[in-house]
Amino acid sequence: MSTLNQPVVKDIPLSIYGTSGPLLEETMQMVLEEITKIRNEMAGELGMDPVEHLLGRIKSEESMREKCRRKGLPETPESALEKIHDAIGLRVVCAFLDDIYTIRDRLLALPRIRLVEEKDYIRHVKPNGYRSFHMIIIVDEKIYAEIQLRTISMDTWAALEHHLKYKKEIGGNTALISAELKRCADELASTDSSMQTLRDMIRELH
Amino acid sequence: MKVLIAEDTTDLNRVVTVMLQKFGYEVDSVYDGEAALEQLELSGYDAVILDIMMPKMDGITALKNMRSRGINVPVLMLTAKSEVDDRVAGLDAGADDYLPKPFAMKELLARVNAMTRRKTKYSGSLVTYADFSLNTDTLELAAENSVRLSMKECELLHLLALHGGKELTTDYILEHVWRGDDSADESTVYLYVKYLKRKLAGIGAAAQLTGERSGAYMLRSK
Repeated sequence: MSTLNQPVVKDIPLSIYGTSGPLLEETMQMVLEEITKIRNEMAGELGMDPVEHLLGRIKSEESMREKCRRKGLPETPESALEKIHDAIGLRVVCAFLDDIYTIRDRLLALPRIRLVEEKDYIRHVKPNGYRSFHMIIIVDEKIYAEIQLRTISMDTWAALEHHLKYKKEIGGNTALISAELKRCADELASTDSSMQTLRDMIRELH
Repeated sequence: MKVLIAEDTTDLNRVVTVMLQKFGYEVDSVYDGEAALEQLELSGYDAVILDIMMPKMDGITALKNMRSRGINVPVLMLTAKSEVDDRVAGLDAGADDYLPKPFAMKELLARVNAMTRRKTKYSGSLVTYADFSLNTDTLELAAENSVRLSMKECELLHLLALHGGKELTTDYILEHVWRGDDSADESTVYLYVKYLKRKLAGIGAAAQLTGERSGAYMLRSK
């Protein structure tokens, strides 16, 4: 009977992020601000805004728990913050190819940011045609964040490819669709490259 | 290789069919222009031999009709006697070659061989240089990853790869890739070379393009 006098803690839903929710939010804002500073600097140099759009999100409670289960990890703050590195996710969509690498270099030159891992799927294109530049960074040696940098074309392609994943079960000639999607990815990549060449040519004239 | 022959003279039709079959061709034979059109709808061919004078529909009408439907198979016209007007009408209607009757069988065979050879050569071929490949049919340029080129980029890279390690002047390139296009000049060539430079680097190819504006350009392995 004495248990009735103890406070009931069992049913209060605890966040997968423990008490780090506000720190995650703060860190994400800080990285967004740094990217915005870089963006403004570059806009001054290039005479045009290099970034089409910039998005940031904290992975939802539900999908973080789902990811822990998928990876066979206990649903704890330790898993969510230290074993899994995309609690903070940022996407930078650029108009031009070269700006992706400029933004990457300038971000990594900042004292509070250190590179943990990067995957250049622009150079090492996935077999299905997916292109994007992925990096995992750590801020203040404490909080991880995943940053994806890509061009508008790559973003458009990824959106359609994502949409099609859900339609795959419907059947039809998926081999043909996959081959054609790959061709579209390669055509868009070709156009991205040509547009960059044209911008270089215009800048050369000034 | 598959050939369609439309010739109303039964004996001649038979002789040509047997001869082509003997030299490895698969042959369908019909005896008038209408039947030729029906057969072209049913099946694909690598070459068509059309007589001009035929019942139901003559060879010229059949030829115009197939060209208007977008059937672009190479066509050899068989013309009666040596009527200049017939030959001109046939070529104007879209024939690739003609042969006046009477003809020697070996000449007909040589002409069919030439027409089908041309077709094979034009259809997609894989050009390789250093570690990249260029498919001139699908326009795919591939090394570590791949991109799809535009027609002109493909023609220019094809030319440079054929002359890999040798300098090609801007004039030579204009003459071969932009022949007949008056709007193209040295800036066009320069821009297209720049496109290719970047695309070769983008796919991680171990080849590079060198050269200065209005000068000579060269493709070579790194």
